[in-house]
Amino acid sequence: MNGFYLSLLVFSPLLGLLLLAFMPRENEKGIKFLGFLATLPALVLSLMAYAAYQGGKGLDEFSERVRWIQFGGFGAIDENLYTVFYELGIDGFSLLMIVLTTVLATLASIASFHVKKEWKGYFMLFLLLEIGMLGVFTAQNLILFFLFFEITLVPMFFLIGKWGYFEKEKAAYSFLIYNGLGSAVLLIVIMVLFARTGTTNIEALKILVNSDNSQLVAPISESLKLGLLIALLVAFGVKLPIFPLHSWMLRVHVEAPPSIVMLHSGILLKIGAFGLIRFGLGIFPEQFRDLSVLLAVLGVVNLLYGAFMAFIQDDFKMVLAYSSISHMGIVLIGLGALNEAGIQGAIFQVVSHGLISALLFFLVSVLYERVQTTNIANLGGLAQGMPLTAGFLLAGAMASLGLPGMSGFISEFMAFMGLFREMPVLAAVGTLGIIMTAVYLLRAVLAITYGRSDREFAGITDIRSYEWAPVLILVGLIILIGVYPAVLSQPIESIVLGIGG
Amino acid sequence: MENAWLIPLFPLLSFLILLLFGRQLKEASAYVGILLTLASLVYSVIVLAGRLQGPTFKTEAGWLQIGDLQLTVGFEVNQLNALMLVIVSLVSFLVHTYSKGYMHGDERFPVFYGYLGLFTFAMLGLVISPNLLQTYIFWELVGLGSFLLIGFYFYKESAKQAAKKAFIMTRIGDVGLLIGMVLLFWQTGSFEYDDIFAAVEAGEVSGTMITLTAILIFIGAVGKSGQFPLHTWLPDAMEGPTPVSALIHAATMVAAGVYLVAAMFPLFEASETAMMTVAVIGAVTAIFAASIGLVQTDIKRVLAYSTVSQLGYMMLALGSAGYVAGVFHLMTHAFFKALLFLAAGSVIHAVHTQDIEKMGGLWKKLRLTGPLFLIGTLAISGVPLFSGFFSKDEILISAWTHGNTFLFWLAVIAAFFTAFYMFRLFFMVFAGEARSQMKNVHESPVTMTAPMMVLGILAIVAGYVNTPWFGTFLGDWLVEGNGHGHTEGPVWIMLVATLVSLLGILLAYLMYGRRTMERDWLSSRLPITYSILYNKYFIDEFYERSFVYGAKAVSLFLRFIEVFLVEGLLKVVVGLVQGLGRSGARVQSGQTQTYGMAAFLGLAFLMLIFAITGGYFG
Amino acid sequence: MTGVPVSAYLALALILFCIGLYGALTKRNTIIVLISIELMLNAVNINLVTFSKFGMNPSITGQVFAVFVIAVAAAEVAVGIAILLSLYRNRKTVNIDEMDQLKH
Repeated sequence: MNGFYLSLLVFSPLLGLLLLAFMPRENEKGIKFLGFLATLPALVLSLMAYAAYQGGKGLDEFSERVRWIQFGGFGAIDENLYTVFYELGIDGFSLLMIVLTTVLATLASIASFHVKKEWKGYFMLFLLLEIGMLGVFTAQNLILFFLFFEITLVPMFFLIGKWGYFEKEKAAYSFLIYNGLGSAVLLIVIMVLFARTGTTNIEALKILVNSDNSQLVAPISESLKLGLLIALLVAFGVKLPIFPLHSWMLRVHVEAPPSIVMLHSGILLKIGAFGLIRFGLGIFPEQFRDLSVLLAVLGVVNLLYGAFMAFIQDDFKMVLAYSSISHMGIVLIGLGALNEAGIQGAIFQVVSHGLISALLFFLVSVLYERVQTTNIANLGGLAQGMPLTAGFLLAGAMASLGLPGMSGFISEFMAFMGLFREMPVLAAVGTLGIIMTAVYLLRAVLAITYGRSDREFAGITDIRSYEWAPVLILVGLIILIGVYPAVLSQPIESIVLGIGG
Repeated sequence: MENAWLIPLFPLLSFLILLLFGRQLKEASAYVGILLTLASLVYSVIVLAGRLQGPTFKTEAGWLQIGDLQLTVGFEVNQLNALMLVIVSLVSFLVHTYSKGYMHGDERFPVFYGYLGLFTFAMLGLVISPNLLQTYIFWELVGLGSFLLIGFYFYKESAKQAAKKAFIMTRIGDVGLLIGMVLLFWQTGSFEYDDIFAAVEAGEVSGTMITLTAILIFIGAVGKSGQFPLHTWLPDAMEGPTPVSALIHAATMVAAGVYLVAAMFPLFEASETAMMTVAVIGAVTAIFAASIGLVQTDIKRVLAYSTVSQLGYMMLALGSAGYVAGVFHLMTHAFFKALLFLAAGSVIHAVHTQDIEKMGGLWKKLRLTGPLFLIGTLAISGVPLFSGFFSKDEILISAWTHGNTFLFWLAVIAAFFTAFYMFRLFFMVFAGEARSQMKNVHESPVTMTAPMMVLGILAIVAGYVNTPWFGTFLGDWLVEGNGHGHTEGPVWIMLVATLVSLLGILLAYLMYGRRTMERDWLSSRLPITYSILYNKYFIDEFYERSFVYGAKAVSLFLRFIEVFLVEGLLKVVVGLVQGLGRSGARVQSGQTQTYGMAAFLGLAFLMLIFAITGGYFG
Repeated sequence: MTGVPVSAYLALALILFCIGLYGALTKRNTIIVLISIELMLNAVNINLVTFSKFGMNPSITGQVFAVFVIAVAAAEVAVGIAILLSLYRNRKTVNIDEMDQLKH
């Protein structure tokens, strides 16, 4: 591989973005098709990287590093002090996230065919969003991470605010305010670390912060480390989201266009988990241990809170939104367990929920396209008119409630297995969530698909042509992970082993 | 035997084929299903034959790596597994055949066969699992198959509710199993049955832990086998097509709970408390469900309650250390109960109703179904020479010899109830005058009667593999090499069992056959008891009021938190930002002099601090 | 010129500056405000000249700077008065309280 493989991967959507700029804005078909094509280079590149990794290639070989910004005149002491590099790299976990991102981005671009207006702007923002997401997972230092992190906010704001449903502006603003505050907290952490250590490189920080203070520019006390970790928890907790910081995310789930929610729920929420694992656990392992009980409790609270709230929602999108909160609880449970099984479960859940929620939201878009409502009370008997959609919806729900043979089970199982080792009582309380998940999902899905239908299904087509691709790919991946979990466990093995419970 | 893993794959193949090509195959789908389950059956028989001579076979491969831990999948053929393989694949094959006639004309015919294939795959996978994790995986998949088939008539509101209930109630049990399984794992370091038993034997697990995990695993069995208090889903599950009830809710899946307890038997044996729990729950369920069965009027519901009751018997047997008795009854029950359900299906197919009040005099019209139904009824009632007699006898002996005298008498009463309500059912359906609306009643096609005949023969002869008279082949074979023991009991127990079943039949005959006794003898004298029984002890209502409303109440409480606390937090954040902006705007008055003043005061303030501290802040 | 101490010059400059500051911040009439600003500038000039004579290392720079300040002040007054005049033509007032249009 050449030295700029990752840059090529991250910025490949830029090509499509530029081409789109020259398209006439009325050419609906062309724009949609180009938007779809533009996501393909990244997909191909990421799959090639994954294949190369499976073929035995070391992930270090993908790293790249260029001197970028120099702060202050410390060159005399150490030319790398207070220098920010443009550096990209991947490990097993980020490789998985990149593959997930590119796959979901391509599928979401197919789902975007349902968009009704201003396709050109939509797809340009869409591609910008993809660049941001890919960058977040490849960035090797905090400043670069932060930049990409912020890049995702801007297109999301406009995508929600312009192409969403009825209360889209409100949703967009609450998205921006919450995430903006989260970013601000994150920035403080980054700046403190930068000022005290003189570097923002993640690998260097992992070593520096945990060594004795003599190598640092300015010392970091234990309590400051704990404070920084809590700040990180808040920053990524907004993103994940952790109760009670979740209300923005409900609005986004309900108001944003479903194709964007696929990405939002599938990838953007996962940045929170990614950040917690990569930075929280990576840079402050000892303090993380101190907080593990808190995390596990938060996880159980998230799990149960989301499940119980989802139980009484009337809007299917709202059910799914709360279900996302509930499922992110499992990530926290796994992190809180802080042993091999738990961490692996958390990472599995990150990937698995990305696929499952993408599938469910794609089906929501298919559904909304045809019946113009997602309100459970107005639906029913869908299996009569749209048996395929109903069947896939049921499959998605089954995956989501952790049916063995699908990816949800593996992650749920491992997270709980981890927690049962450390805090059995808390875990036992958490298992109530497993029951509630079945209860609320079946309540919602059966209300939509089973029963007598009040509407005529004449003239309503079932899943057709291009809509098959996302559904089949997602279901296929979900089952693949469920049946043969080694596809995921292998790349993250080194990360999990490093934690050693 | 090395290729026993192929057995579950045939039905899976059937499922996949029908999933992809079902629409084109239409009713030809039946042949796909039938042929592939036949393949499973043939292979199962070969494996059983191999196991009869050879030793236990087990093989495993890595599946999931968690740090240093390696979780495996594989399969095992021991006595219990081999026996279950044959039972499951045989009943499944027969039900596949039967459904060809029963489901004829249904527009979702291929889907039905697909689901059957999925279920059979999961059930066969369950019985050859060598470890708890794999068992759990198939355990849940079996639940999925059951759920899909109960909800097969998805447009019926009742079917939807029943499917949902079945899934959720069994899932409650499943969570118990999951917890028990994970706790055991951290205690013993393995999900493998063999390793767990070795660790338990070696005393590596504390006594309380054994009891706790055994009871948790038993909760899983309670959910799946419809034991009290998680039994309510099973009668409702009769919303599914009748062949499904025969396959899943009589012969195979509901027996999975019994199978699990049997497979985990060494763990249970290590804890007296756990054994007692199993026995008590079993006995209570047996009598409890039998008492409800006395007054139900839906043909399938009566059978459903009898299933619950018989499963209780099996649990009682296992809880009384009667390993052989439990497994033996599992086998005979699978045959005669499947027969009863298929016969009931044949009746329903003929008369298009499930209400036994509306039936009667069908003996002459259904010349095949009638006698077959009678065979099943005799078998389940424990009439001598039929299979149920031997297995039930074995159970009673176990209960007696294990010292559970009270439970023993409970079981005897339940046996009396069973004989009574089963013959009540028989007489109400087949005896008496034919109703006027039952004009066009025909016997079912041969695809339906043939499987019934096979089961009819089995319901008679299956008992002879393990009798006190001709030798206990099954028992000897089952306990070979695992030392679960085999019990002999006093002869009077057999006489008591015979007596109560004959008494029950006699009473039913008097009330419903010859009608020399008033039919509403019970309901007129004990209206409250009758009402309680008819309404199934109001358990459903109780659950509705307590758990469903409870969950709703929790949800509403959380919504309250959401609205006031979380949204409140949101308002605070928004208010803070807005307030900051407003006060900033107010300061900007456009009055240059005010600005100047502010700047001057600020400077003065800074100078003051500078003067006081003589340097930097702090 | 030896009789007068440095502190006297500085005190003069201080008093002058304070008068100017007070005027600039409190007077309503824009003309007075402009005059007050001139006072402050001149207070600064006194300081500059004082230090160029009696400072740590006396040099001509301070005086040159004072000349610059005078020049700039003149330019400023010219521009200021011009703005003020046109404002007066438009709004018929020189009251500084009414001149808050820049916030929009």
